[in-house]
Amino acid sequence: MTEAVRTDQEGLRIIGQVAMGFPPRPGSYASVAYNNARPDVQEATWLLVRPDGTAVAYAGKVEYGQGIRSGLAVEVADELRLPLGAVEVVLGDTELVPWDMGTFGSQSTARVGLQLRKAAATAREALLELAAARLDLPVGDLEARDGRVWSRRDASRSVSYGELLAGQQLARDLLDDAPLTPAAEFSIMGRPAQRVDAVARVTGAAVYSYDVLLPGMLFAKVLRPPSYGARLLEVDASVAERLPGVVQVVQEDGLVAVLAESDAQAEQAARLLQARWEERADQPSHLDVPDLLARTAREGYTTQEAGSLEEGFAAADHVLETVYYVPYVSNAPMEPRAAVARWEDGRLTVWAGTQRPFGLRAELAQHFGMDEADVRVIAPEIGGGFGGKSIYTVGLEAARLARAAGRPVRVALTRTEEMMWATFRPAALIQVKSGFTADGTILAWQFTAYHAGERPFIGRRGSECPYHVPHVNVTVYAAESPLRTGSYRSLGGAVNHFARESHVDEIAAAVGMDPVELRLRNLTHPRFRRVLEAAAREFGWSPGKAPSGRGVGAAIGLDVGSYVAECVQVDVQGSEVKVERVAAALDCGLTVNPEGARNQMEGSIVMGLGTALYEAVDFTAGRLQTAGFARYRVPRINNAPAITVALVGDPETPSTGAGEPGIVPIAAAIANAVFDRTGTRVRELPLQRHLR
Amino acid sequence: MITIRVNGEAREAPDPDRNLLSYLRYDLGLTGTKYGCGEGLCGACTVLVDGQPLRSCMATVGSVAGGALTTIEGLAEGGRLHPVQEAFVAESAMQCGYCIPGFIMAATGLLNREARPSAAQIREALAENMCRCGTYQRIQRAVERAAERLAGGAS
Repeated sequence: MTEAVRTDQEGLRIIGQVAMGFPPRPGSYASVAYNNARPDVQEATWLLVRPDGTAVAYAGKVEYGQGIRSGLAVEVADELRLPLGAVEVVLGDTELVPWDMGTFGSQSTARVGLQLRKAAATAREALLELAAARLDLPVGDLEARDGRVWSRRDASRSVSYGELLAGQQLARDLLDDAPLTPAAEFSIMGRPAQRVDAVARVTGAAVYSYDVLLPGMLFAKVLRPPSYGARLLEVDASVAERLPGVVQVVQEDGLVAVLAESDAQAEQAARLLQARWEERADQPSHLDVPDLLARTAREGYTTQEAGSLEEGFAAADHVLETVYYVPYVSNAPMEPRAAVARWEDGRLTVWAGTQRPFGLRAELAQHFGMDEADVRVIAPEIGGGFGGKSIYTVGLEAARLARAAGRPVRVALTRTEEMMWATFRPAALIQVKSGFTADGTILAWQFTAYHAGERPFIGRRGSECPYHVPHVNVTVYAAESPLRTGSYRSLGGAVNHFARESHVDEIAAAVGMDPVELRLRNLTHPRFRRVLEAAAREFGWSPGKAPSGRGVGAAIGLDVGSYVAECVQVDVQGSEVKVERVAAALDCGLTVNPEGARNQMEGSIVMGLGTALYEAVDFTAGRLQTAGFARYRVPRINNAPAITVALVGDPETPSTGAGEPGIVPIAAAIANAVFDRTGTRVRELPLQRHLR
Repeated sequence: MITIRVNGEAREAPDPDRNLLSYLRYDLGLTGTKYGCGEGLCGACTVLVDGQPLRSCMATVGSVAGGALTTIEGLAEGGRLHPVQEAFVAESAMQCGYCIPGFIMAATGLLNREARPSAAQIREALAENMCRCGTYQRIQRAVERAAERLAGGAS
């Protein structure tokens, strides 16, 4: 196990504030969802340049597929003038890395990446000063390159970072105004780079939380309710306890679990637990949800208001009113949640694939009444999460069971458990009413959304109208949710975009205009216009009035500060929709790692394609009918379109996220293409279920 | 007690009814083979038996006795990545990477029986594997690259 950085560490340490931009924006997801998110220290080591000339960067983010380890390595290597292979990135271990609120909302490159660039630039400047003293030359005559500091005038005079740092124990404060390398001088950033952790992933060496196995560890099987809201009346463990390999059946405060020497023994014994449950039959089914959302709306929040709707509708040639519905969907990451806990000398260590290692540490410390310093959470590689693994209750289960057993304990969910007991992307019902002129100028826009969930902010993301419209009201409501809701890729944003970009297409059809032309007519923002024009060009969009029979569709989006547009081509046979190709354009400002950004865009598009065409969570009387891949269809390789991604961000514009924007336009672009192909407008997802 | 060959080594298995995936992961510690669904629907647990793909989550140890098993840990030879592994690295065909061992084993099985598969054959052979991160386009390119390399000998 990697050791924590010591204050007497040989080399050069860069120390900086842990909580950039903290506290989170009022009303933001993080501020409402994770109220236990508080840094316990003010400062931490962000970067260590070691006396062997290599560097190690520390960040509180986790790697769950977004390629952040590679992105951060690229930034540090470039600023520090080191080859990519000389930079190690340590992530997600609360003992080693600066405090972090969690990995969500596409903040990793924007905030932590920038912080590490500043740390690396601070280190570079310090090395230049050390070299100036060593070589007895003015700093202005020196430059750093390939892990050495060189005289600009005399190529025979240079000194390596290693030589400068040998035997030294140096520390510097991170300079907020450290001189960052201008985009024109990048040698690693902005160029395609392979992932630094690729080989471990193709050899099976990468360790995920599901793979953590400790000596003496017991396998747990937790007794889970048969349905939501079920109450355990009694449990008889007398048969289960006698099975070979069973060490203990824990029954403690609502947590019942078999602990055994092997996974099979734990599972077999758990099946023999005689449990009586009181179930709740009076629960809504998925079919009741649209009605429930409108009926239970509360906490309306107006995200955008301008002019007067009354005036706008009065001046319009046409008024169009439509309603859209998006069902619950499952995150369904490939790796189900798993955690291993170990108690040693009063200290607790938990390996858990959580997106919030520090949040889990706080929860554990609070539960056990411990000091946070005595709890260590290690997030190993994470097999996908897409927002959902911000909530990670198996970490606490494992810790409780390990304490009861006095041995390390592993809790690992089955696929069925993962899908039933994880959170879901909230369902939403969205009403859109617009007024526009015969030439396609939008005058009035009324957008009213009802998003399931106890958190009213969910529906805010991406609800604003990006078009230049004089009379606007956008109001989002929270509504009662029969299922437990949680985060998802562009939570709320992808859902709001489906409604808005579908409706804009309906306006184009109503006035007989090309949908791309209609969008451009109403868009003034230059970054929006640029991505839409780039995507249309990449796609080879030829103007036409829908439905043209060609099966083409377009949509735009804005998410986490990044601008995106997508054009798609579909074929439709009966109710089977095949997305043939997608041309996307993304403007996320400076693209640190273009290969990583493209990979994320492709993944977002495929994930969004699933929500557009197939995915819906079905349930009745508290039982989930789609708790497995037999009943919950997700995209496969033969459903995947050919995708091209144009990266059109300006390198002098600060980086914004690339992991989420790709999902926001895709469902509407596909629905619009289906309309263009068939003349049928489907306003309810998933399209294949509702396409007749 | 039965004996099976895993990555070229003879290994003892006391219980022929033991689930093969559990045996590999928890008894032998070969955790590169992943649990994804336990129902044979996602392909994360794919291993090779005599060069052909098998869903280890649906098999018992006894059912593969006498066969030669290869897991992702046994694919590289003499410290050199297998061409399919190399191709996945070259194409950055991964995000979280959890499904990738299963895809690599399924693709290797395909190339063992069909040296020059068409694009459609690749899709068909990999349609039972799931990548929730959606890196399918890269996976497709990686398998095409590996096929070219294996067939043409070009490096």
